[in-house]
Amino acid sequence: MGDPRLTIARRELQVLRSEKTIVLALLIQLFIAAFSSFLVVGLVSLYDPGSVEGYTVDAAVTGDARDELLAVARETEGLDAREFSSAAAATDAFHRGRADVVLDATTRDGRLAVTVTAPDSNVRTTVVVVTVRDLLQTLERVERRQRADSLTATPLDLPPPATTSPYFGFTYTVLIPLLLFLPVFISGSIAVDSVTEEFERGTLELLRVAPVSMVDIVDGKVWAAAALAPGQAALWVALLELNGTHVANAAPLLALVGGLALFVVALGTTVALFAPDRRSAQFLYSVGILVGFGGAALVPFNPVNVVARLAIGSAGTTALVAVGGYVALAAAAYVGLRRLVPRATLP
Amino acid sequence: MTVAGTARAHAARILRIARWETFRTASVVDRRTAIVGLVALLLAGGVAGATATTGGVAIDRGIYRVGVAADSPYHAPVADSTALAAHPPDRTAFERGRLDVLVRDGEIHARDTRKGQAALGAFRDAVQRHNARLMSQEENRSAAFPVTVTLLYTTQNRAIVDGGTDGGGGGSGGSSGGASGAGGDASGTTPAGDGSMAVPDVGGTGLFATRTTGSPADISPPFPFASLVLAFAFFVPMNFVIQPYGSTILNERINRRGELLLVTPASPSDIVAGKTLPYFGLLVAVTALIAAAIGGGVVSVGAVVPLAALFLAATFVGAMFARSFKELTFVTVTVSVFLTTYAFVPAIFSNVTPIALISPLTLVVRDLQGTGVTAAQYAFSTGPIYLSAAVLFLLGVGVYREEDMFTQRPVPLKFLDALDSRISGPWSMALLSALSIPFVFVAELLAIALFFVLPVSVSVPPLLFVVAAVEEVAKSLPVYAGFEKERFPRLPRTALVLGGLSGLGFFLGEKLTAVVQLVGLPELALGRAAFAPAGVGPTAAVALLLAPLALHAGTTSISALGASRGRNWYAGALVVATGVHAAYNFAVVTALG
Repeated sequence: MGDPRLTIARRELQVLRSEKTIVLALLIQLFIAAFSSFLVVGLVSLYDPGSVEGYTVDAAVTGDARDELLAVARETEGLDAREFSSAAAATDAFHRGRADVVLDATTRDGRLAVTVTAPDSNVRTTVVVVTVRDLLQTLERVERRQRADSLTATPLDLPPPATTSPYFGFTYTVLIPLLLFLPVFISGSIAVDSVTEEFERGTLELLRVAPVSMVDIVDGKVWAAAALAPGQAALWVALLELNGTHVANAAPLLALVGGLALFVVALGTTVALFAPDRRSAQFLYSVGILVGFGGAALVPFNPVNVVARLAIGSAGTTALVAVGGYVALAAAAYVGLRRLVPRATLP
Repeated sequence: MTVAGTARAHAARILRIARWETFRTASVVDRRTAIVGLVALLLAGGVAGATATTGGVAIDRGIYRVGVAADSPYHAPVADSTALAAHPPDRTAFERGRLDVLVRDGEIHARDTRKGQAALGAFRDAVQRHNARLMSQEENRSAAFPVTVTLLYTTQNRAIVDGGTDGGGGGSGGSSGGASGAGGDASGTTPAGDGSMAVPDVGGTGLFATRTTGSPADISPPFPFASLVLAFAFFVPMNFVIQPYGSTILNERINRRGELLLVTPASPSDIVAGKTLPYFGLLVAVTALIAAAIGGGVVSVGAVVPLAALFLAATFVGAMFARSFKELTFVTVTVSVFLTTYAFVPAIFSNVTPIALISPLTLVVRDLQGTGVTAAQYAFSTGPIYLSAAVLFLLGVGVYREEDMFTQRPVPLKFLDALDSRISGPWSMALLSALSIPFVFVAELLAIALFFVLPVSVSVPPLLFVVAAVEEVAKSLPVYAGFEKERFPRLPRTALVLGGLSGLGFFLGEKLTAVVQLVGLPELALGRAAFAPAGVGPTAAVALLLAPLALHAGTTSISALGASRGRNWYAGALVVATGVHAAYNFAVVTALG
């Protein structure tokens, strides 16, 4: 028989497998990822007209300054402007459903005052408002250029419009960090449950009559739990690659996930060893995670940001140093845990 | 003993158990844990506060690299943007892919990759923001902001022209500006696609503001962002409370500890009620506190309390089924993820369509916005939740007995046990089938919400299939449980009888979907697709009434025949039944459409 610590670790993983817990865990992660992607797809298609291809907003343009508006409208994509000589006729067209929006432009105090009447509370409202905003921003630039003499500063020319999808940034700043960190938190939770369960069931007694020390037992449990996270992370990275999303710097990413998993598992095990029962242990662990990751958001190169930079391929040396820092932190936490084990009050 | 006397005795026992549960929870937490927990909570509060006030460090900081000289006018917008990092404009670095955008010799180049294009988009937005800031410092206001916009929302009505700008109320107040001076909060009013999460920009206006004024950059579509974030506050305590609740239930099952309580005169339902009461009370109290803090009223509390009950009910069943703490953890996470999704996804559409009313959170959003909620809307939103919670507790209490509590069996088998405990004869099939309606309802509503964003032509076929699958599983599971537990002889005749009864029960229960019509969900194409086959269609009422009955009885008989021959046969028959059901649904939708 080999190292007893490996035996314990293997036993931990076997239990997870026999209970199919790990399958459930992966399903939960998939569900959360799908859910968050859905949120963004839903939001974007509802609140960003760029993704609604081929939809044209019919605008009824009226008012004494309508010519300026019409000139710009001709060059705005996704907008079809029609001229109305009276506001009443435009409003009438709006209520008959022939126009989606009424734009009433008048000149007031040397400015163009545009009153936009948009339909209330329906799916197209958003598309209408955002399209009209684009139109009006173009109009603003045109009008500003004509008044350039009265301005002390000149606005910068805009860079050319990009053919980009709003999902791109989301994938790297939210989705990938989410998929990489969920396994980490789950590993910590498994560690807490694994230790408290031995206490509650009294099975620790059985383990301790075996020729292994308490440190060995803890080692086995920590290794098993901490090894799970990088495995799952590797799976997600591979799946994303298959799906056409390139994840750069896979090795540093997995090292970061492994380091954070070790850190979180060490934290969870420490809490579980010293808390009186599972309720307190899980509570302290959850709050600890909240404080840890919430607090980390305050510092530059927090784990989420490091993952985003690495995965998108904008990692400099600093990001790699940060990965090293997190791994060192985890090692320190693990060494600390091993020192604390003999002092745990065992039942 | 009189009926009132019996009720009093039950109440007394429930209260005694509740008191005991509270006391035991309080005593197990020693002083050290309490202090550590308190410190941790205070820290969490501090961190949350600090993150809220400073905004934290953006998660997208420095993900795009722009090569721009320090003396270029474009350096300032890059330096001010979080997502962009300024680097020296080195042409070789750009060609090798170490820069995404290069600004050099008055020209702007972006790499021809997805990342390069995304970087260019972010750069464009940054320049736009920079211009807005620049202009807000100008003396000549009319030259700097030559266009002012007033945005009105009006109901598009073929009848009279109504001013249409009343109602609403509770505008966020931060939506005007720009034209008058401050230039608005530049970062909060930029066009979509620049937000740090790449979700469309949602700051600024928001809460059903019916009138906004400002420069073109200041107008943005209505989005109940603030209310949604506030509504999320209700979910945080739930996730914490179900942890100890699940623990205490599972604790009873470890080392036969619960046996002591089981031998007392208290019935299982007394025990469960007593053990649940403190946690439910705590959640109600916390909900009321949160509602008071964020300005919600009775409606908010009334909308969140059923959700709290469902959280507890699902955790209870999970704890009754789980074999270990680890399994319980996963069950708890599943419960909270699923319920949070169910509550959140529809609520996003609060201001857009009646579909949002699927979720009770929409009621909270409406309450916070002061829009008001009708009784029918309340019933529609919370009805399935109340019923689901009740049925889950009923199932869980069914296995709160010695032979189930202290045995270790896989979760699916435990579930069949729970169903089996409610079977007392063939007619139980009808009852169980009808009881599954709230879950079917919840699952179908969630499917509607998820498919809602797709075009109708794409979303209807998969939706019909999902609906059929959900209904077939719900109808046939009790039959399968009955056969697996050897309640009934495995004969084709029995299978047909059980299938027919289950179909009948489901058909009667499905009449509940008539509630849907109260809030006008069928006006939506998707709502019609999911619920029209239920038989409340407007035309040919009689034929449509009997057709679904025949369908439900028929398809369930198919799966019942399979169930009588074992697991694999059951799975196969289920697929066939789902196919038949989906084909029927599709025919009805096509005929009605």
